[in-house]
Amino acid sequence: MKSYRAPGGAPIRVLDGVDLAVPRGRLALVLGASGSGKSTLLNVVGLLEDAEGGDVIVGGERVSALGRSAQGRARGRYIGFVFQSFLLLPSLTALDNVLLAARYARRARLDARRRARELLAEFGVLERQAHYPPQLSGGEQQRVAFCRAVLNDPPLLLADEPTGNLDDANGRVILEALRARARAGAAVVVVSHRADAVGAADAVYHMREGRLEPGPSTSGGGPS
Amino acid sequence: MNGVGRILREYGFTIAGIAIGVAGIVALGAMGERIVRFIEGGDRFVLGQISVAGRGMGMGAGFTAGGMLPASALRAIAAVPGVAGVQAQVMLPLNPSTSQFMTLTQELVLGLDLSVPTPNRHYPTLPVHEGRVLRRGDRRVAVVGASFAASHGLRVGSALVLEDEPYEVVGVLERTLTAPDRFVIVPIEDARRQWIAKDRLLRTVIASGAAAVNAADLNTGAAVGWGDGEDPDVVARRIAERVKDVNVQIPSDLSRLLRSSTAFFSALLGGLGVLAFVIGGLSLANTVAAAVFERIRDFGVKRALGATDWQLGREVLGEALAVTLSGGAVGVALAVMLGTGVDRWAARSGQQLFLFSGRLLGGSLVFSLLLGAAAATYATLRVVRLSPAEAIRRGA
Repeated sequence: MKSYRAPGGAPIRVLDGVDLAVPRGRLALVLGASGSGKSTLLNVVGLLEDAEGGDVIVGGERVSALGRSAQGRARGRYIGFVFQSFLLLPSLTALDNVLLAARYARRARLDARRRARELLAEFGVLERQAHYPPQLSGGEQQRVAFCRAVLNDPPLLLADEPTGNLDDANGRVILEALRARARAGAAVVVVSHRADAVGAADAVYHMREGRLEPGPSTSGGGPS
Repeated sequence: MNGVGRILREYGFTIAGIAIGVAGIVALGAMGERIVRFIEGGDRFVLGQISVAGRGMGMGAGFTAGGMLPASALRAIAAVPGVAGVQAQVMLPLNPSTSQFMTLTQELVLGLDLSVPTPNRHYPTLPVHEGRVLRRGDRRVAVVGASFAASHGLRVGSALVLEDEPYEVVGVLERTLTAPDRFVIVPIEDARRQWIAKDRLLRTVIASGAAAVNAADLNTGAAVGWGDGEDPDVVARRIAERVKDVNVQIPSDLSRLLRSSTAFFSALLGGLGVLAFVIGGLSLANTVAAAVFERIRDFGVKRALGATDWQLGREVLGEALAVTLSGGAVGVALAVMLGTGVDRWAARSGQQLFLFSGRLLGGSLVFSLLLGAAAATYATLRVVRLSPAEAIRRGA
């Protein structure tokens, strides 16, 4: 459960009784209109903000019960994020942005650098590794952001409107990459207000007024 | 990752802002140091000797202000127990029309009896920057203070005309930032000639033979030393009791007088210093805190990537210290460059407005660092309290 209180107003419940289980190797798509609570759901699942009740369990560990520092470490180890606005650090090069994920996971520098280059090459942006985010196109930025999200091979990958700022071609690249992560064994949750990702999903849900409902084309997993 | 380049890219304006604040602090502090050096130098001088002048009024200037101090009085002073040396002196305003009220900038002629050592314990000789000090037997030569030399365009070997008589400059003193910077030091015999030339009444009295005055009596004062283990104040009071018709300056009283006469400047500079530290400090603290708050979204992203509060806090604090240190160093360099430029211009009229002491520069850097660290700590504590999602939202 999660609610916000507007200044001087009554609390607004943005998540209400949501129960979502995504097994490894599955991609779950949460559709919903703007303001329906889907981004908040992703934030709570990703430990980016606290809920007033309920649990977040990743790989059998109840990570929502951990302390602040332990939650920070859990985010670095277990969870990768892809944001709609990419959220690359403008003062870092593309390569350094990717390597940022390794810094907080205390991963060996050389190994991380090698893997980061592999990922950048896989997504066609290796030649842009020394460029800064403002020098990259939106599609390139999202691919760099994706490389950062998967650098540590997190078992849980969360994507908030990952194609929202991309053209169709780049959107397809990112959706395929998310699908590939699921095939590789990660649990992937994508939230979107567009239905163009339905084809890539193993399970589709709808968020309406803070409640999660199963969608029509669910092929696995589901609210329980 | 090129850390220096990254910090410059991220914090270029912050460093510039800090530099301007620190430059202001350092520049005002350097002006304060300049005055402090003047006051301390004067204090050190008056505490190094007992200054004695003749009773009454005359042309004597500075610490020898008063009437004539004849040779008989000098002998009587030398006979006082505890006295370890007496040096006759003549101190005159170079230009008697200049108000003696303006003692901080007045140019003075100091005549020294070179047949005896200078008894001042703190200034047995004044440091010479160029040339030499005066020697026994010298005539028509002068050692000039640094400001005097600069304002009159004098160097060693230059000619100087005093009361229509030519002098050769044989030495230029090091800049002391105190009164001797404006001195013309000559042998006492030459100073006596200048006194007679300047003082029509004295000339008339000597010419008329109305008073038994010979050359050795023409002193405006004397510097008196004391023996080892003697209390200078006690010796000074003893001179006052035992020698008639003299004004004796008690060293500690003179020091107090000097300090009280410069109290206004001290208070003014103290106030300016406090103001500079408050304004510069607030500007610096605000700049550092704003720089941290500006990057709130980046901190949210880093926390999303797994940074713990401790890791993030350490990172932010380290960057803030590096930025503050860079800004502080640039600010210090800026102030020194500006101050040196202004002083180069002011030197043409014999002035020096700034003194960049080591304690000022070091203190300013330490002050900047501490304040930057405090501001960064405050801002960091505010930032890490937010959830990563909230930090990203606020920074968007």
